[in-house]
Amino acid sequence: MSTTIIPLLLDSLASAALIFFAAVGLTLVFSVLRVLNVAHGSLYSIGGYVAASVCLFIASRQLNPYLSFVALLFSAVFVAAILGPLIERSLVRWTYGKSEAVQILITFGLFLILEDLQRLVFGVQSLYEDSPMRLLGTSSIGGVVYLNYQILLVAMAVLVVVGLRLLINHTRLGRLITAVVTDREMAQSIGIDTNRIFILAFSLGVFLAALGGALATPTSGIAPGLGADTMVLAFAVAAIGGLGQIEGAAVASLIVGFARVLAIYLVPSLDAVAPYAAMLAVLLIRPYGLFGSVTARRI
Amino acid sequence: MRIILAAAAVVMLAALAFAAPWLQFVLTLAIAKGFAALGVAVLLRAGLISIGHAMFFAASAYGAAFLARAGINDLGLLLILSVLVSALIGAIAGSFLVRYRAIFFAMLNLAVSMVFYALCAKLYGVTGGTDGLPVPIPAVFGIVFAEPVFKSILFYLSLTLMVLVGLAVHRYLDSPLGHALSAVHSNEIRLEYLGIPVWAVLLIAYTISAALAGLGGSIAGFAIGRVVPDFAFWTASGHLVLIAVLGGIGGVPGAFIGALFLELLHSAAVTVTDAWNMFVGITLIVVIMFMPQGIYGLFERKEAQSS
Amino acid sequence: MSFRIGLSAVAIALGLVATPVAAQEKPSTLGLGIFTFTSGPAAAYGMPGKNAADLMLEEINAKGGIGGVPVSATYVDEAQGAQGVIAEYRRLAGEPKNQVMVAALSSANCLALAPIAEQLEVPTVGWNCDTHQLLLDGKSKYVFRPNGNTVPEFVAYAIYLLDRKPDVKTVAIINPDYAFGHDAATIFKAALKALKPDVEVVAELYPKLSSPNYQTEISRLATAHPDVVFSNLWGADLENFVRQATPRGLFTSSQVILALGETVLQRVPMPDGVIVGVLGDGWWMSPDAKENVETVKFAAAYKQRFGEYPVFPSIKMANTLIYVKAAYQAAMQKNGGKWPTRAEIADAMKSSNVATLTGTTQTRADNDGLVDQIVGVTMKSEGRSFPLISDMARYKGNSLMPQPGQDPIAWVSTLKPEFAKTLPKPGSYK
Repeated sequence: MSTTIIPLLLDSLASAALIFFAAVGLTLVFSVLRVLNVAHGSLYSIGGYVAASVCLFIASRQLNPYLSFVALLFSAVFVAAILGPLIERSLVRWTYGKSEAVQILITFGLFLILEDLQRLVFGVQSLYEDSPMRLLGTSSIGGVVYLNYQILLVAMAVLVVVGLRLLINHTRLGRLITAVVTDREMAQSIGIDTNRIFILAFSLGVFLAALGGALATPTSGIAPGLGADTMVLAFAVAAIGGLGQIEGAAVASLIVGFARVLAIYLVPSLDAVAPYAAMLAVLLIRPYGLFGSVTARRI
Repeated sequence: MRIILAAAAVVMLAALAFAAPWLQFVLTLAIAKGFAALGVAVLLRAGLISIGHAMFFAASAYGAAFLARAGINDLGLLLILSVLVSALIGAIAGSFLVRYRAIFFAMLNLAVSMVFYALCAKLYGVTGGTDGLPVPIPAVFGIVFAEPVFKSILFYLSLTLMVLVGLAVHRYLDSPLGHALSAVHSNEIRLEYLGIPVWAVLLIAYTISAALAGLGGSIAGFAIGRVVPDFAFWTASGHLVLIAVLGGIGGVPGAFIGALFLELLHSAAVTVTDAWNMFVGITLIVVIMFMPQGIYGLFERKEAQSS
Repeated sequence: MSFRIGLSAVAIALGLVATPVAAQEKPSTLGLGIFTFTSGPAAAYGMPGKNAADLMLEEINAKGGIGGVPVSATYVDEAQGAQGVIAEYRRLAGEPKNQVMVAALSSANCLALAPIAEQLEVPTVGWNCDTHQLLLDGKSKYVFRPNGNTVPEFVAYAIYLLDRKPDVKTVAIINPDYAFGHDAATIFKAALKALKPDVEVVAELYPKLSSPNYQTEISRLATAHPDVVFSNLWGADLENFVRQATPRGLFTSSQVILALGETVLQRVPMPDGVIVGVLGDGWWMSPDAKENVETVKFAAAYKQRFGEYPVFPSIKMANTLIYVKAAYQAAMQKNGGKWPTRAEIADAMKSSNVATLTGTTQTRADNDGLVDQIVGVTMKSEGRSFPLISDMARYKGNSLMPQPGQDPIAWVSTLKPEFAKTLPKPGSYK
């Protein structure tokens, strides 16, 4: 058993990084807009599709393979720049201040639309593009060969947590967001352009979703149905951490990742149950999540 | 006027299935989903949105499959027992779930249903995993009918149940217990001050809604002949809310109108377009933005004008 | 107003179903319902099947169709799940022009459709229904399988493995989490236990079908240090697994068996020495296939049209359509040239013996098929960008099948090492 402890922990970290990228955008959007975006999973898979398509193009033209790393990032920016403002202006804005039922249903409608849109644009076959993964090579740790790309993802996840915290606490935009989160009416009355903040925050959420999808593609395939699976995993993580809590999402990702990996190592038949069982267990004790609270609107 | 309209609709459905036996299956499924959507609609009256009710739909169908395996082979008995199974699960889950409101209620329902889904999908030895379980054709009053005859019996039974259960739910919603639901939505605290136990009101509603979803689930199980974990996936729960809202939660017929509308349209559209979900998504958004009373609201409004 | 809408709905509904065709009269077209995965991860396996059907039906129609009647297919995507597949099956079966269903790819859908086929009395040919549970009760009248089933398929891998690597001690299994994966594991383990009782299974993983990511599973397999990794993953799952496992050294640290490996040889770089097969005899490059003019022609036309050579699901589909055509010819011969009813077609399929593109398929009294099994290892080939299968053994269909009515797992447990010695050795089929 002791020989498997290091791989077990490493796998948990690698798994948690992927899970974190799936969830962080959802929780960020909720913290600013108070909207649970059910279409978040679709934005994740769109990011994946765009990234894989661009990387496949790079490979087919035999351009410098390291361009594919740029492509991963660029794809997410591209998706966010186009879909972020579009969705926020046309649909999400309409739901501000409306009941949760309306918000969930409107974004569920958007989810259905985006799922079909992906089929129409990217086709229904699986895509796979692994050149970034192969470029980075492997390392042998604890007797098991890992992809350096997996380790890179863990570092990226840490970077995103720190980056978001810095953005929110130490930049002008971050302070504006905090002001809006804390008291929307007050922020408006002192002349903050809340509409612009909402567009920016939502687009940032779309960017994080698409980035998650893009970063996942080099180590896993994409196919129709990815959006629905990602959505419910993102729900679980956001709920465990406390809706709207970025550090909460990071801790929740570690919990869910560890639970899943532990299941695969010890009771493989329960691997798919682990994330939701963890979610249920946490929510029964703390319905507002580990870091959430009923009243405080923190970010 | 409204009664005549409803009666005409029921007679039309019966005639439709008689004239087009192939549609019978679609209509049976539509009524089954209508029951489940009605269950969701009951909770929506209290402002509670559940993205987990497909669990009760599936639980009841699994119940029927397990009971049939255990040797119970009578349609009536299987229906009653499997609905009781889902009602019981509903009462147990509801006893803690109804303490929560808004987004937390929605998320907890989702969590419970996804645990259920994952267990059904992963416990291959018990539930058949993602292959699911067969729901064999049971006897009706001791007689085992051939498949087409049984499916007709199932359809006309569903139609009858739709009327009877629909009337019962209508009476429930019109009773003090039912009115208390809307009061929870509008002003829960005042309700508490009036000495009405909100927890009990909601638990009763939750159990009824689980039983309704269960009734739909076992009908669907018999109609399809199989139950699979996908019955309980979160998108299935989402579709139930969608049907309820599309039809309109203003009255009992809304859920059935929504289900029939969607299923019939789906059968017509499936040969024409691949982008069915996109169509449904757009319809949903348009209905919510511009017709908050749902399709049923159209009838209601016309009624108000004509009277 | 609503009533008028209702009436038109009735009219539409009537129009949809009222296309009466008098029995025994030649219809203008013969409809086939063909069930396969055309979307999602499983489409990587399902589309080659559909492609082959397109090509094969064109060839059949170019030669005058079946009994002079052109054949047209309606494809049903199995990715919509059992509920939708069943609804589509019922809808297609309700149209009289659809006389035969070619269904299905996924064993889950086969098991779900089989009772309905019997109830509706529609001849249903499982083009890829390999699960041995399908025809277990021996009572099927309308469900046929002109393929081998999971028993001979996975017993063949155990025998081949023990011939090639007699000192194997530890085995790990990673199969998809549904009937096909669990059945294969049960049979493979039972065969190993019977033929070499000291083999130990050190890990058994059943990831959900259509999982895109196997990184944790690969680590888990690596920590178990097995001599052999066995897998019957398929479709995009298999492609994903191979792509993810190759750089992480799984193929060098263990002898890997990919039961459906042939399907991805042209798509994914695969190292030499991996034990692969075709779940039957359907390899387009087998010695028998190369001698068959029709097969060579088919493979060339397939490559021309779809940009890659047929994989074994393509051959399975093509062989199934040949089987359906043969049944029509036999039925019409028997009833004096009249157009056969559904019952007569089913009757003609029973106990038939049909020459296919890659061998023969014999239908037993229990409707189960006898088909040879080819197993080999991957090997780089001169002049091709992808590896071929070498060191092959071709096991006779009936030698690895239990008798009708026999409990298959119990039969596997009775196998003796002496029995395995009587079978063809790796490299004997060339």
